[in-house]
Amino acid sequence: MGRILTFLVIGLGLMVGGVWFSHNVHLGFLDKVAEMGIPLDLGMTIATIGVFLALFPVIDTFYVKPLKEAIDSRNSELESTFTEAENLKSEMGKMRSDYEKRLADTEANAREQIQSSIKEAQNLRQTLLAEATEKADSMVKKANEEIEASRAKALTDIRSQVVDLSLLAAEKVVGENMNNDRNRKLVDDFISTAEVSR
Amino acid sequence: MDSLLLNHASRLASAEGGEHTVTIAGVGVYLGVVLIAMFIYLSMAKKGFGQRVFKNFVTGTFEQLYLFLENMAVNTIGSHGRKYVPMLVTFWLVIFFANLVGLFFPLTPTAVVGFNLGMALIVFGYVQYEGARANGVLGHISHFAGPKLPGVLAVLITPIIFCIELVSELMKNVSLTLRLYGNIHGGHQAVEAINHLTEKFYIAAGEFLLPIKLLTVLVQAMIFCLLTCVYLGLVTGHHDDHEHGDGHGEAAHA
Amino acid sequence: MGIIGLGIAAMGVAIGLGLIGYGAMTGMSRQPEAIGKLQTAMIIALAFVELVFLLTVFVGISSAK
Repeated sequence: MGRILTFLVIGLGLMVGGVWFSHNVHLGFLDKVAEMGIPLDLGMTIATIGVFLALFPVIDTFYVKPLKEAIDSRNSELESTFTEAENLKSEMGKMRSDYEKRLADTEANAREQIQSSIKEAQNLRQTLLAEATEKADSMVKKANEEIEASRAKALTDIRSQVVDLSLLAAEKVVGENMNNDRNRKLVDDFISTAEVSR
Repeated sequence: MDSLLLNHASRLASAEGGEHTVTIAGVGVYLGVVLIAMFIYLSMAKKGFGQRVFKNFVTGTFEQLYLFLENMAVNTIGSHGRKYVPMLVTFWLVIFFANLVGLFFPLTPTAVVGFNLGMALIVFGYVQYEGARANGVLGHISHFAGPKLPGVLAVLITPIIFCIELVSELMKNVSLTLRLYGNIHGGHQAVEAINHLTEKFYIAAGEFLLPIKLLTVLVQAMIFCLLTCVYLGLVTGHHDDHEHGDGHGEAAHA
Repeated sequence: MGIIGLGIAAMGVAIGLGLIGYGAMTGMSRQPEAIGKLQTAMIIALAFVELVFLLTVFVGISSAK
């Protein structure tokens, strides 16, 4: 402030001095200069210097410096905003890549799990199938065996009954007890040949 | 309206005719007009400083002006040219507004030799001061003597160079003064002369020179600042060259 | 006589201004990236040439009287 006041006082002094000079001092050589088409008034020059001396600090302090500060603060604000945005952007990019990676991981995991469960299921199916077939096979075998056994049993039953019946019939036919060992053997042979021929 | 313009022009002609020169009080009135216009502009511009982005048009123009002058100073003077920007802004504003006032009023401060000489003397004095501060008083004076010459040549030629340089240094004043004065006053004279041609038909044809004068308004303000920059760069430039090594020390105590 | 001298001066200065403009335009069209520097130099040169004319005007007025 003191600087401005000093300049203002000097400037005002020069202005007043210039006016005084212009009104009271008459320099001879200025007439010759005026004849050349240059109407020079040195008092005005002095006053002008005073005006400018007063103007420089005023405009500098009140208008140019605030403008410079405003521009600087705006620039720094812009810069900070930009760096902030840049940071946010990079952070977001990182987050996004993270997310994508995680997503991909999850997907791979899920696929793997699905694959493994499918495999497991397939294995299970295979084993179940094998077990079932085995069981069925064994059951069939058993059944076959049973059938075979019952058939054999039925066959022997039938054979013995046939033998008995035929013997009975023969007895009736012959009318005498032929139920001796030789006859039985005979019939038996016959039946076995019949069985073979059947 | 025409007659009013003609009346102004003819009164101006009689004032400039040499019978009686422009009085200091008259110029003071117009200087007051210029300063009022300038300060209105500046305070309108200052209103927008608080905004994040300068949406205010006036503030935008002021910022553009500042950046333009800063760019000019840095380009012509060098990196230390930034501290001259407030002075350049002041000169630019005063000259520009004075020239603008000159478009619409018969008299304006920049159409007066005394005013221009005052500005030129400020530039001249400041250049000498800056030169002396940058190179030392002796260094600044020896800078007028030109390059160092060997033996007899130094005795013969150096004084001549010194005189020529001194004269050219003084001529910088004259050139700054007369350029501005000639352009603005000459513009007035041209308008007056063309008005005089069509005076019979009550048409102020000289006012059609307004576009050219508008160009002059801008260019003259710019040239004054540019030449100030160039003169400052001439005296402080050498210093920048040969003391580039320990420039940090200079920056520290400056 | 002074008017004729003024005309001659105007002619010379016009030629000079034209040459400066021509040179600057050529340079600018060849190197559009250097327009800023060229403009500065051009305007300085224009100012100096213009000054010659202004000096001529004042000297002419003084010699005419």
